[in-house]
Amino acid sequence: MRSPGYLALLLALAVVCLPALAKTPIFELEIRDHLFQPEEIRIPANTKIKLVVYNRDPTPEEFESYELNREKVIMGGRKANIFIGPLAPGVYPFFGEFNPRTAQGRVVVE
Amino acid sequence: MLLNSVILVLREVLEAAVLVSVLLALAHSVRLRRHWLWCALPLSVISVMIYSRALGTLTEALDGAGQEVINASLQGAVFLLVPPILCLCTGFPQSGHRRLLGALMGLAVTFAIVRECAEIQIYVQAFSAASGQARAVWAGSALGAGIGLSAGVLVYAGLTALAPVASRRVCLVALGLIGAGMVMQGTMLLEQVDWLPQQVPLWDSSGLVSEQSFIGELLYAVLGYEATPGALQVALYGASLVLAAAAAAVGRKWRISSETTV
Repeated sequence: MRSPGYLALLLALAVVCLPALAKTPIFELEIRDHLFQPEEIRIPANTKIKLVVYNRDPTPEEFESYELNREKVIMGGRKANIFIGPLAPGVYPFFGEFNPRTAQGRVVVE
Repeated sequence: MLLNSVILVLREVLEAAVLVSVLLALAHSVRLRRHWLWCALPLSVISVMIYSRALGTLTEALDGAGQEVINASLQGAVFLLVPPILCLCTGFPQSGHRRLLGALMGLAVTFAIVRECAEIQIYVQAFSAASGQARAVWAGSALGAGIGLSAGVLVYAGLTALAPVASRRVCLVALGLIGAGMVMQGTMLLEQVDWLPQQVPLWDSSGLVSEQSFIGELLYAVLGYEATPGALQVALYGASLVLAAAAAAVGRKWRISSETTV
């Protein structure tokens, strides 16, 4: 009992979402010895990107950024996907909340 | 490691402690006994253990969105519990409703503690096992938890020191704000996994009150303070407050009608 309007809405949603999914660039980051490698990632302005963070340490870490409004616990030996942007040009620091003294990094949007 | 542990644990405990204090003060103002808290606390501890153990696997569920979806759901659940609690507290809580009110408060506390404290469990378990750090991690965590709980006790003492009617009003408003804050934080988690579109910040008040400052953290716990909210967050925040006010108004009407019929 699906109305044509319902189907049209689904189709419209698919049309809006699919290109976005297909084009999202992926950036990778590692946590090793409580350090982010690389410490700096450069991403294009006004573009949504997918950041994949691999935690190579046996201990957990929390990816956190006040400027990016992001927080995610990444267990030891696991990875996490974090979507970022579209953002205005600027520098957006992030850190590992479990080891903030060493685990520091930044997203440079240009 | 010591200072880091203090800050990390304080941040999380503060948020849960503020909610628990407001609910306790509200229960006090409507003369609800505290059975619900003694049920909610052990349930919370067990839930935190299970959740933190399963987090690695859960994170990878739903195409990597599992952690955010669960956390946003926990915050959403607290938000959904707020209107019925407000309605029952402004209404005319009779014995049957009192039991329901206690159950709702207990659930809200459990969801909030699981959301906030699973991270503490993961942190303490992992880093207290690392060589040479155990003492700093435990001492720092105990200190952080102590400061957070003390802040909660202060909030409770402040709220219950007010005249009963004023105390209840302040608690109702505070609970409405906490619920709205939960919704706002939940939407940010869903943006993080692309379940909601990323919002362009409407303003940036980080120069005024930094989210990293103690005041910022306290405002975050009470109001869901966010220095750079998007249009969706602000709209949902406003809608949540309207919903909370409507629930309180319904409760009031219910009480007035029951008083006139008696």
